[in-house]
Amino acid sequence: MSKLSLSDRFRLSRFFNGKKATAEPITLSQRRIFIIPTQRGLGFAVLISLLLLIAFVYGNNLTYLLAFLLASVFFITILHTYRSLSGLVVQAGQSPAVFAGENAGFNIFINNPSKIPRYNVQISLEQTVQATIPAFGNYQVKLYSSTRQRGWHQLGKVTVASIYPFGLFRAWSPLRFGMRVLVYPKPAAKQIPFPETASAKSLQGTSTKGNDDFYGLQTYHAGDSIKHIDWKTYAKGIGLFTKQYSGDNSAEIWLDYEHSPGYNIEERLSQLCRWVLDAEQAGIRYGFALPGTKLNPDFGQHHYQKCLEALALF
Amino acid sequence: MPGSPGVILTIMNNDLNKNTFLFLLAAIGLIVLPHFYNIPMSVFAMFYGLLIWRVLTVWKPNWLPNKFVLLLLTVACLALLYFTHHGLLGRDAGTRLFVVALGLKLMEIKSTRDFYLVTFLAFIVAASLFLYQQSILMAVYIAFVCCVLLGTLVSINSTKPQIGLAIKTAAIILLQALPMTIIIFMLFPRIPAPQWMYFNQQHSAKMGLSDSMEPGSISNLGTSDELVFRVKFTGAIPPPADRYWRGPVFSYTDGKKWSPIPSLQYLPPPEKPGFSGIAYQYTLLMEPQDQHWVFALDMPVEYPQNLRLNANYQLNTTEHPDKRAEYKITSYPNYQTKSIKKIEYQSALQLPAAPSIKINQLVEQLHGFDQPPAAYIKQVLQHFRTENFRYTLHPPLLEDRPIERFLFETRQGFCEHYATAFVYLMRAAKIPARVVTGYQGGELNKVGNFLDIKQAHAHAWTEVWLENQGWIRVDPTAAVAPERIEKDLNIDQQVSSGLISFAPTGNSALAVSWLKQARQFWGNVDYNWQRWVINYDNSNQSEFLNNLGISDLKTMMYWMAGLITVFTALLSLWLLYNPNKNNDPVLLAYQRYSKQLAKHGLLRLTGEGVGAFAERCKLKLPSHAKEIDRITQLFIKLRYGNKPGARELKYLKKYIAQFKIAKMTAVGK
Repeated sequence: MSKLSLSDRFRLSRFFNGKKATAEPITLSQRRIFIIPTQRGLGFAVLISLLLLIAFVYGNNLTYLLAFLLASVFFITILHTYRSLSGLVVQAGQSPAVFAGENAGFNIFINNPSKIPRYNVQISLEQTVQATIPAFGNYQVKLYSSTRQRGWHQLGKVTVASIYPFGLFRAWSPLRFGMRVLVYPKPAAKQIPFPETASAKSLQGTSTKGNDDFYGLQTYHAGDSIKHIDWKTYAKGIGLFTKQYSGDNSAEIWLDYEHSPGYNIEERLSQLCRWVLDAEQAGIRYGFALPGTKLNPDFGQHHYQKCLEALALF
Repeated sequence: MPGSPGVILTIMNNDLNKNTFLFLLAAIGLIVLPHFYNIPMSVFAMFYGLLIWRVLTVWKPNWLPNKFVLLLLTVACLALLYFTHHGLLGRDAGTRLFVVALGLKLMEIKSTRDFYLVTFLAFIVAASLFLYQQSILMAVYIAFVCCVLLGTLVSINSTKPQIGLAIKTAAIILLQALPMTIIIFMLFPRIPAPQWMYFNQQHSAKMGLSDSMEPGSISNLGTSDELVFRVKFTGAIPPPADRYWRGPVFSYTDGKKWSPIPSLQYLPPPEKPGFSGIAYQYTLLMEPQDQHWVFALDMPVEYPQNLRLNANYQLNTTEHPDKRAEYKITSYPNYQTKSIKKIEYQSALQLPAAPSIKINQLVEQLHGFDQPPAAYIKQVLQHFRTENFRYTLHPPLLEDRPIERFLFETRQGFCEHYATAFVYLMRAAKIPARVVTGYQGGELNKVGNFLDIKQAHAHAWTEVWLENQGWIRVDPTAAVAPERIEKDLNIDQQVSSGLISFAPTGNSALAVSWLKQARQFWGNVDYNWQRWVINYDNSNQSEFLNNLGISDLKTMMYWMAGLITVFTALLSLWLLYNPNKNNDPVLLAYQRYSKQLAKHGLLRLTGEGVGAFAERCKLKLPSHAKEIDRITQLFIKLRYGNKPGARELKYLKKYIAQFKIAKMTAVGK
């Protein structure tokens, strides 16, 4: 079997996995596990040859026996190394979005549905993690994948491998999961004042003013700003509430691609990203405009994510 | 395609691996230990010095030698090898080299790669032990050490090294490898190494009789329990009185020392003897020895091509005697030698000087000069029997005129004294006679039905040449100590007392005592070990395989490939077949419980936790809330808890078995 046909087969299986991006567990079977001697395995083969030579020269049957025993162990190790991966069920989890340059962390779950503990399982994405997975046990690890460009970032190939028991053979299984993570543009490092827009006059200094008029409490919803949580009521044990303010829209800004400085698209997006971050942090209501996308001024997690998504996929 | 594992296991800095490393060092210490007798003391001490140093550095890492010290050590080791050298090639030189290399490599184990290198070197040193000794005990010992070595490899390849578990894993794999090992061992073609590859070294295996004889020179031989050869008969076993295993024949004497006539040793017999009576067929398994002698039952007729019968009717091998060898021989105890060569006749009458007056008087007294030889022989034997001659293994030293002093003064001696004195008396009466040495008797192993012939069975007897009858065997020792010949020698007793007791050993209760049986059982195991393992060479293999219908190399290879395939298939089936994918008893029990709930429309959703599911079920089945809680808690404890026990599982099973939902309680649907 040539190397090329192997990778071809994997392109095919990747195609399948790619279709169902969500949790589709993969069971490691003979169709997915490959095995080859390691460098040490080749060294072991040389050792066996040397023992055979000694046995031959001296006509020594016990040396023959030792050589044959080690050769049999070598051979049987193939089965054992294969067994250390066979049957494992590998599943990848979704990663939360990251900014370009950060590492996207994917959760990898491995289930061992058999009564054989797996003492040496190496799971690698960009770095390798070694694990012991007990019989009928589970293992979970977060693997990081570095990102460079904004947009969708594929999980890529996760290799599950083992050299158990003797390190003479390496069984491995390259797995391609359809998981992908959204990568936002890298926020610009420079702090540039928000763009002056028609609806945002003298926003600096008035940023928190808009929140002054307390209106009432509302049950907490995911995405509400932490700053607006009424901690006093929470401390009383009544529940989690968010303070509502009568929205005077005085501090409202527009973050527009057209006003974003930069020599190219990426730099401008990067700057926009910075502004979105700053605005959200400052608690200012911000509108967001990209060519073809327009989001009315708002604030909070939901709005914030929508803006960043738009940036990532622009 | 596979890259390197990416993570280099650092052995030294990891506390978890300290145990693994100590086990490796222990295994290496054990593997060199039996070399105590095989390598010079200086090399042995050097190795253990390095090993102990290395063991100490496990706790004191800064005691490890730096590069400069390491270089000095290497130079010192090379110098040691140079000064104790035995050539560059060969068993001894190779063993020393590998032992020293192993010791030095121990000092610089830095990576996993070094760890493997040390393990591989240890395997080679293990193999070198077999070049010195091939006993069962040695094989078991090496197997044990190899298991530990492989265990250390398992340990360093486990994420959480547990040396005990690792060694157990290695042992299981070794056991699984055993059938395949046997298949290969049987079918792997044994081709003898070409002569130029054979490093002909003088092995120090000192066995067998000497090539000359001086009564008193083998005084210690009688008590040695060392095995010389083994004989397995295909049919009947000859009675003890017929068990004369023929060795060197001595005709020439200077009065003290007896030695062979060289020309007779390399010539074939002038004429084939006549044979009659029972023929004995047997397989003779010679232990390694220095001489080319093969001790056949008197008198061999058929023997393999690599043996030669000389004019003394003694068998010699044409091959290296320092290896165990096996011969198929047929002998007839009843034979009659025919014509005799002149030199043979003359040498059988040779005397260093004219016999003394005393001797002549004795010969005359025993009618040596006036009666036929047969009558004279009887008289001489009668003389030994009646004139207060004593058999002992510790005779007084006879440095001067040994025969005369033995006959007239000391009258104490063993077979050699009697044989030489008898021959002397014959020759004094002009009757051709000579001394024959070899072994007499043999210990019957009742379990394996073979004879063990040990050094203690060494014997000397005589042959007298009579007109028309040829060479006649006469054993003068039998006249003094008939039990020595007619009964099996009781070596146990002999060793314990230092003296041979000639009281009849007819005590059958003693003979069948468990100790003796155990000895014989062990002897049988040992015999088969030698026969089927150590001595399984080219000819043995082809004979064995021919019996199975495997005659040529091609068929052998087919059989080997076929058997290995079948074995691998069986092993894979056993290792990899998983009949019920979910055979976790906890999960199986929970499945039963889930089925019960499913009947009432309660299905666990994907991603729904066990606890959440239980809450949902309790809402629907309020009357079963207690049971659901109990089962769920047990399940969580068993599945995710630290130390799930068998007791909890029992309860879980019990509760689930009792869990029955009545139809009407399933409300709210």
